[in-house]
Amino acid sequence: MIRLLSLFESSNFQWVFISTILLGMAAGMVGVMSNLRQQGLMSDAISHAALPGVILAFLLTGEKQLPVLIIGAGISGLIAAFFIYGIEQSTRIKRDAAMGIILSVFFGGGIMLLSIANRSGGGQSGLDSFIFGQAASMVRSDTYVMGGLALLVMLLIFVFFKQWKVVLFDPQHANMMGINAHLFSSLYTFLLVLVIVIVIQAVGVILMAALLIIPALSARYWTHSLLILFLLSGFFGGFAGAAGTLISSSESNLPTGPFIVVTSSGIFILSLFFGAEKGLFHLKRYINKTALQSDGTSGGDEK
Amino acid sequence: MKKQSAAMGLMLIGGLLTACGDQEQQADESPVKVVATTSQIGDSVSEIGGDLVEVTSLMGPGVDPHSYQATQNDINALQEADIVFYNGLHLEGKMDEIFEQISGSKPVLALGEAVEEENLLTDADNPEVVDPHIWFDVPLWKEALESATSELIELLPEDEEVLEDQKNAYFEELDSLIEESENLMGSIDEEKRVLVTAHDAFGYFGRMHDLEVIGLQGLSTEDEVGINEIQQTVNLLTEREIPSVFVESSISDRSIQAVIQGAEQSGHKVSLGGELYSDAMGEEETEEGTYIGMYLHNAKTISKALQEDGE
Amino acid sequence: MSYTAWILLTGSLVGISCGLVGVLLILRKMAMMADAISHTVLLGIVSAYLISSSLDGGSMLIGAMLAGLLTAWLVQWFESTGIHSDAAIGVVFTTLFAIGVILISTSVGNVHLDVNHALMGEISFIPWNTVHLPVIGQIPQATLLLMIITIIVIAVIALFYKEWKVTTFDPALAASLGIPVLLMHYVFMTLVSVTTVAAFDAVGAIMVVAMLITPAAAANLWTDKLLTMLIISAVIGAASSCAGYGIAIWLNTSISGSMAFATGILFVFSYLFSPRHGQLAKWFHKPGEI
Repeated sequence: MIRLLSLFESSNFQWVFISTILLGMAAGMVGVMSNLRQQGLMSDAISHAALPGVILAFLLTGEKQLPVLIIGAGISGLIAAFFIYGIEQSTRIKRDAAMGIILSVFFGGGIMLLSIANRSGGGQSGLDSFIFGQAASMVRSDTYVMGGLALLVMLLIFVFFKQWKVVLFDPQHANMMGINAHLFSSLYTFLLVLVIVIVIQAVGVILMAALLIIPALSARYWTHSLLILFLLSGFFGGFAGAAGTLISSSESNLPTGPFIVVTSSGIFILSLFFGAEKGLFHLKRYINKTALQSDGTSGGDEK
Repeated sequence: MKKQSAAMGLMLIGGLLTACGDQEQQADESPVKVVATTSQIGDSVSEIGGDLVEVTSLMGPGVDPHSYQATQNDINALQEADIVFYNGLHLEGKMDEIFEQISGSKPVLALGEAVEEENLLTDADNPEVVDPHIWFDVPLWKEALESATSELIELLPEDEEVLEDQKNAYFEELDSLIEESENLMGSIDEEKRVLVTAHDAFGYFGRMHDLEVIGLQGLSTEDEVGINEIQQTVNLLTEREIPSVFVESSISDRSIQAVIQGAEQSGHKVSLGGELYSDAMGEEETEEGTYIGMYLHNAKTISKALQEDGE
Repeated sequence: MSYTAWILLTGSLVGISCGLVGVLLILRKMAMMADAISHTVLLGIVSAYLISSSLDGGSMLIGAMLAGLLTAWLVQWFESTGIHSDAAIGVVFTTLFAIGVILISTSVGNVHLDVNHALMGEISFIPWNTVHLPVIGQIPQATLLLMIITIIVIAVIALFYKEWKVTTFDPALAASLGIPVLLMHYVFMTLVSVTTVAAFDAVGAIMVVAMLITPAAAANLWTDKLLTMLIISAVIGAASSCAGYGIAIWLNTSISGSMAFATGILFVFSYLFSPRHGQLAKWFHKPGEI
């Protein structure tokens, strides 16, 4: 206990702790949108697809400054998202296959570039830590970045809450109601890519998807209100961030990212069984609510 | 760039053509093709071998051997090599198995496994794990190079004298390196003899020069740095008022930056002592691109930084 | 056999086995299961190591297979509770992967079982890691494994060809015909896991995903017939391996990365020029068929 308290006094711990809470919240809230649109794995595809952008940004500028790398990651993430939608819309290939293609081909390209960067001489070290993430080395400036990100996400969600609600649940009617569904679709993709490229440095490419998918999925078991869904998912994400950081600080050599994910999964299992709205132990209510629920899950499906 | 790829293509075609029947060709004139994994080995061996050898180092400047990825050129080099030197002791990770396989067809020597086992350092928590960064202990390195030289002599029995002479000349240089580095390191105050780096590469350096060594990451750079390690290091820096920490050329400096900022927050100003060459060396054609140059660079950087008064 | 020939053979075997399995994956709309299984295999390998405390191939293979099945079963179960498959896959594979990473960092300690290599693979060293076989002579271990797996894949698909066809295109009909749809599903998932593991050892997780999905998706643009699609996909898979190796030599870069990238090039080619569903074909007969 005393050790735990002394932990809180340490500034490194505080930075990591606060940053993971904030990034968990931001990812959790954006995750609600991608889950409602049934695009959970988009995050996985985009995070893998960010790699060539990172390396290319380094190769072109010779800089390892974080903003440069993030811009590179963002551009290649957006291109990837664009390609996935493009393949889905212009061919008979389904979205999940399109994601698989883009994910693996972009990542393969990234590995090629990384190998070239490795040969290009000094200075490239640490580029691959972008792939695996290093939560423990976050510092004060990271806290500010994560804080800014979380604020931006919240702002965009709550200011346009009414519009999101229509766009997410009932995109067909959005235009009728004078909402530019296309604009919000793009805004959503932008938010998704933004969250991914910023959070990726903390948890790495592979676990990124968990931060977006799991809290939002867990929240679904407790409520049907979109507002509460956002809040709860943000809370779950933040909680998982906090708990994961605490657990991984309790002993030496524990990685932070995986513990955040495992905590998050714990919340999910609890929600799955005991969730007040749809949990397995509330089967009756579940059946009664199927009608309600179905407009939640399939409403976001654009065809 | 174009030239390079053209040359590469030619080499390749040549390689493919000769792949089947190159046994007889490499007779007298052409130098022996040596492949070394790290540039530390590569540089030392090329000093000893002189004109008799043509050394290719697989891991260039800034490449972290723990996460090295082979390219096609590396494979060609390995295939055409007459002799292969690698560090061993798991420095090259998964490649160890490969070298064992290759050793069936050509001489292969793991320098780290050629030295007396009792001289090797092991991980404090895990005695089975041996510290592979042996080149930081110059006398130990000489021991390893001694075996490398005998391997070369076996390959070139007629040139034994030349090789012995070149080795002795190089060892003299190494002896003066020992002297110079000991002078540099000896002048550091007793309570400041602590070396904090990003990963545990400097164990042998610390043993040779009587420094306490603290690495944020373990022996391999594969492990993630934990918050705990960062915190403990910050505490230690603050308690013992250590003035400087160091980054390594082949590793991301993020964790060290976190340590510096953390210490500053708790009221102890730590400066960045400079960049050390741990697993990789400096750019080719520079002073730091040679074994001796990089060793001296490290010694100078460390002694300068640790002698400066913190506050 | 020379070094290059071994690499090309190994790559082609990966391309063929993954290409075949991939077609069924795509048609069953389970493309991302490939991504999931290729990641959870890590947990299987770590667990196998912890239990058998050796790094030999057999136990790893079994561990990875079990992990693959566990993934398939968990995803299936979550889906049955009403979770969208996308989310179910996302939850399962990230969690199992995270557990794998935690196990590596806590229990395996400093032993060199690293995530990095598991994910990237290293096809370039395969020809050197040989075993001796009675009649054939020296053969790279990974290549041998891939040969066996490729034969198994072809055999399983050929033997139950009709069943695969029906369960894939019309599961309801399959059930009414008395074909055990669920059993077929798990047989298929085992096939995916085994293929993934064999290919994974050679080329790493990312390459496996590329090889499983991309050639099959490209083949899907060329034809509507299952048999033709299987053949085209296998050919594209093998061709991408060879093309990838060429690119790797040309640019002097990572071989497995280049092979993954090459599948993308062939996909783009199919996307543009396929006579059936390609973009150019669409341009010519503008309105009308899609």
